[in-house]
Amino acid sequence: MATFALKSFTGLRQSPTDQITFVSNVPSSLSRSQRRTSLKVTASRASPKLANRSLRVAVIGGGPAGGAAAETLAQGGIETILIERKMDNCKPCGGAIPLCMVGEFNLPLDIIDRRVTKMKMISPSNIAVDIGRTLKEHEYIGMVRREVLDQYLRERAEKSGATVINGLFLKMDLPENWDSPYVLHYTEYDGKTGATGQKKTMEVDAVIGADGANSRVAKSIGAGDYDYAIAFQERIRIPDDKMTYYEDLAEMYVGDDVSPDFYGWVFPKCDHVAVGTGTVTHKGDIKKFQLATRNRAKDKILGGKIIRVEAHPIPEHPRPRRLSKRVALVGDAAGYVTKCSGEGIYFAAKSGRMCAEAIVEGSQNGKKMIDESDLRKYLEKWDKTYLPTYRVLDVLQKVFYRSNPAREAFVEMCGDEYVQKMTFDSYLYKRVAPGSPLEDLKLAVNTIGSVFRANALRREIEKLNV
Amino acid sequence: MSISMALFSPPISSPHQNSNLIPKISLSLLSTKRLSLVSLTRASSDNGTSTPASATVSATTVEAPKPVAVEEVPVKSPSENGAVGGEETDLTTTTTEIKFQDAKWVNGTWDLKQFEKEGKTDWDSVIVAEAKRRKWLEDNPETTSNDEPVLFDTSIIPWWAWMKRYHLPEAELLNGRAAMVGFFMAYFVDSLTGVGLVDQMGNFFCKTLLFVAVAGVLFIRKNEDLDKLKGLIEETTLYDKQWQAAWKEPESSSSSTVSSKK
Repeated sequence: MATFALKSFTGLRQSPTDQITFVSNVPSSLSRSQRRTSLKVTASRASPKLANRSLRVAVIGGGPAGGAAAETLAQGGIETILIERKMDNCKPCGGAIPLCMVGEFNLPLDIIDRRVTKMKMISPSNIAVDIGRTLKEHEYIGMVRREVLDQYLRERAEKSGATVINGLFLKMDLPENWDSPYVLHYTEYDGKTGATGQKKTMEVDAVIGADGANSRVAKSIGAGDYDYAIAFQERIRIPDDKMTYYEDLAEMYVGDDVSPDFYGWVFPKCDHVAVGTGTVTHKGDIKKFQLATRNRAKDKILGGKIIRVEAHPIPEHPRPRRLSKRVALVGDAAGYVTKCSGEGIYFAAKSGRMCAEAIVEGSQNGKKMIDESDLRKYLEKWDKTYLPTYRVLDVLQKVFYRSNPAREAFVEMCGDEYVQKMTFDSYLYKRVAPGSPLEDLKLAVNTIGSVFRANALRREIEKLNV
Repeated sequence: MSISMALFSPPISSPHQNSNLIPKISLSLLSTKRLSLVSLTRASSDNGTSTPASATVSATTVEAPKPVAVEEVPVKSPSENGAVGGEETDLTTTTTEIKFQDAKWVNGTWDLKQFEKEGKTDWDSVIVAEAKRRKWLEDNPETTSNDEPVLFDTSIIPWWAWMKRYHLPEAELLNGRAAMVGFFMAYFVDSLTGVGLVDQMGNFFCKTLLFVAVAGVLFIRKNEDLDKLKGLIEETTLYDKQWQAAWKEPESSSSSTVSSKK
């Protein structure tokens, strides 16, 4: 410990010494040994006060992550610039948000097109299980239109004081010295449709990369790649009598025909349904899977018209590097999509907010310069709060999405009331709530039983094949 | 497209929605099935990423009157996948598909009364019937329907039926293997060291060997199992590693706040 402290001392002496006040983080260096993660503590050594100005932070990307980040930054007194390339972008998305998001982000209820209170899980052999009996009156899964939600969050950011620019981020020059700014190169569109826009540059102190799965900010900082799934979706307008079935019900189809490692879905939207599927390992067959999904839902979408076809990548796990010096990634750019359910909107918004909070705190409301340790605090907090959730969903995916027997067992398990209660509690409120141990034991026994039965049937099927 | 017209099979005269299915007759379980049906093409749009195409998806489900024969094994007819880009308004064409049919499959579940043998339900045949149904569905995925939901739950088959059919034979096999390996190893160790069976059990090393032998018999049954196990172990830790990657940067970044490294 002492040698480390010593090292940082000597390091300090070599660096420029204007207005340097050494802030020692003794407590954190003590807890370093207790922390599992090998985090090298860097004392936020010189958070020099910014003379005559507030901290300038650019948020690249105006989706849920960017909007939430920009709002929190602006409210914290930081000069915020939000750069979004397409203000009316209809991001292809399932559009499901958990209940806690409405409360945490103060979303107006008219943003939510539909409240889904029932779900149907359908196994490979078409065994259908209804989920949602355990939901209380006020609980639901909100279905939103991304263009509406994103626009709302951006507007709120603007009202809080952020500057929203319609522009396309091109690249970023990394600073040579620790106190040089980041130089952003972007193309600004000034409202004239069809115009190619003006190339501009901007200097900022810190950057939040919220530009989605194909993040350019991530590329600029060499964040590394991740595995991603392709989600393919068709929006289908179905006749009204069929639409009443989907009034507040969403469906999930599992099976090898629908997707080898994900699920197919029918989600109701404002006045149509979205039928889609996704896959990581067999991206080339996505059209085949989509046909199969449509086939499985055929009766229920009979007579429908396809009004839009869309696809988008979904990250499967975080990038190897989620931050670098004063650039942090949030949302899809960081790879915060859960496995098993593929949920990303809430985590994007939450991570944007968390990162912005860390910046506000580290800069003391914009008065001081921040450095990497402040952003690391956001990573720590994030991992501490949500890693269990991610882990659990990963295990679920690994166990239950691997083969048809596993999926059959999964659907059978979902019929159990305890499972439904636990699932919804953890989905709607984002906490891995501990249930009662006796019920957990029963659940474990039932799970093993279901998996055993499904695999036994699989062996029987193989015997028939011979 | 004209190709779609060519895909229409001859007997059809008009693209109406009704279709007839002549009942299937099966002579015996495994005999050939004669089947004639009328199939119409279904126009579907495959231009996924291009401009929004309109397509209607419509189908009729077909019901066949129950034949008198013992058991039917339905035959799949190749349903048409006409790749047509229908830009015009709804092409109402239909496809007939053979749905899973079985005399004992009533209202979305197996009618257990039909499986009785000597007054008691013959669970083995229920299991086999369900396996056949799943195999059928794997090869011919069907649409789900609200009118005929599938309600069968495998847990109605009692646990001892599953045990008898699957667990016990396998347990017998594995126990037999373990016994053979154990006997030979005990003899081998005895011949080498002179330590008898009872004394071997008291020795820590022998107990470890025993444990390894049992675990090996349990988990490694084919040569491929070794690789599968290794893959499994790697898989369980992969996600964690991906998350921790952010913390494992080559920590020259501890000096990043100090020096002016890029």
